[in-house]
Amino acid sequence: MDIIDELEENQTVLLLASSIGYNDTVIETVKKLAAKTVTYVTINKTASSLKETFKSKGVNVDNIVFIDAITKTIKDVPDQADGIYYMSSPAALTEISMAVSNMLNHGFNYLIFDSVTNLLVYEQRAPVAKFIQVLVNKIKSSKTKAVFYALSVKEQNELIQETGMFVDKVV
Amino acid sequence: MVVDDEQDIRTTVETVLKVAGYAVITAVSGDDCLAKLKKAKPDLILMDIMMPGTPVRQVVKQIKGIKIAYLSVVRVSEAEKEELLGDNIVDFIQKPFDIGELLKRVKKLVG
Repeated sequence: MDIIDELEENQTVLLLASSIGYNDTVIETVKKLAAKTVTYVTINKTASSLKETFKSKGVNVDNIVFIDAITKTIKDVPDQADGIYYMSSPAALTEISMAVSNMLNHGFNYLIFDSVTNLLVYEQRAPVAKFIQVLVNKIKSSKTKAVFYALSVKEQNELIQETGMFVDKVV
Repeated sequence: MVVDDEQDIRTTVETVLKVAGYAVITAVSGDDCLAKLKKAKPDLILMDIMMPGTPVRQVVKQIKGIKIAYLSVVRVSEAEKEELLGDNIVDFIQKPFDIGELLKRVKKLVG
């Protein structure tokens, strides 16, 4: 599966990864997509930790803007700094949605959403499913392509199935 | 003291620590932790970094003279770990953690 090819044919993709292969999938995907402009929405990993990991794996982070939904929950940071937009918490779905909208209005090539299943740690399935649906609809009104990560585990099957109905393809 | 809003974590860590010979108190939130600290003074607090209620970073400011080790499902950078450690914050343990490693770190912190 080549993510670039998948996104050539499908505007929105749900990428399922096993818990063992998850981190490798994250790195491989961002490495390919970061040749162009990327907005990376992170729910459970601080943008700082992602930058650290990406740089160590040879990913070009210069093209990546982060929407970081987790850092503000553990330390005080401004709303924006160094290419990172900090949200108040992973449960602030409206805030995250608005941040993505703002980025879509500016225009960029790829959205990476890491991850759909992480949202369930902080919110119930129904509002998460609705949030993803709204987000996908916003993306479809733009030229941006999007990949949503999900951890492929039995407990998350319902949300994965629901999300699968909103996106163009599940891979 | 083990402070975590997830019962599985509290129960597991409590059991493991008790088997290892430690006396354990548990709390379900930062607010519960502060309430229980009025009556008890543990040698070490293992605290989930993210729980409902008063934000943990505000809770730890109110705890003096007791070592605190964060338990965190949140992935942070090395620089952020260094930033979070200080005063009485003595360790940062990433979840999911290995029980053996957890015990080793607890022993290092309190003996």
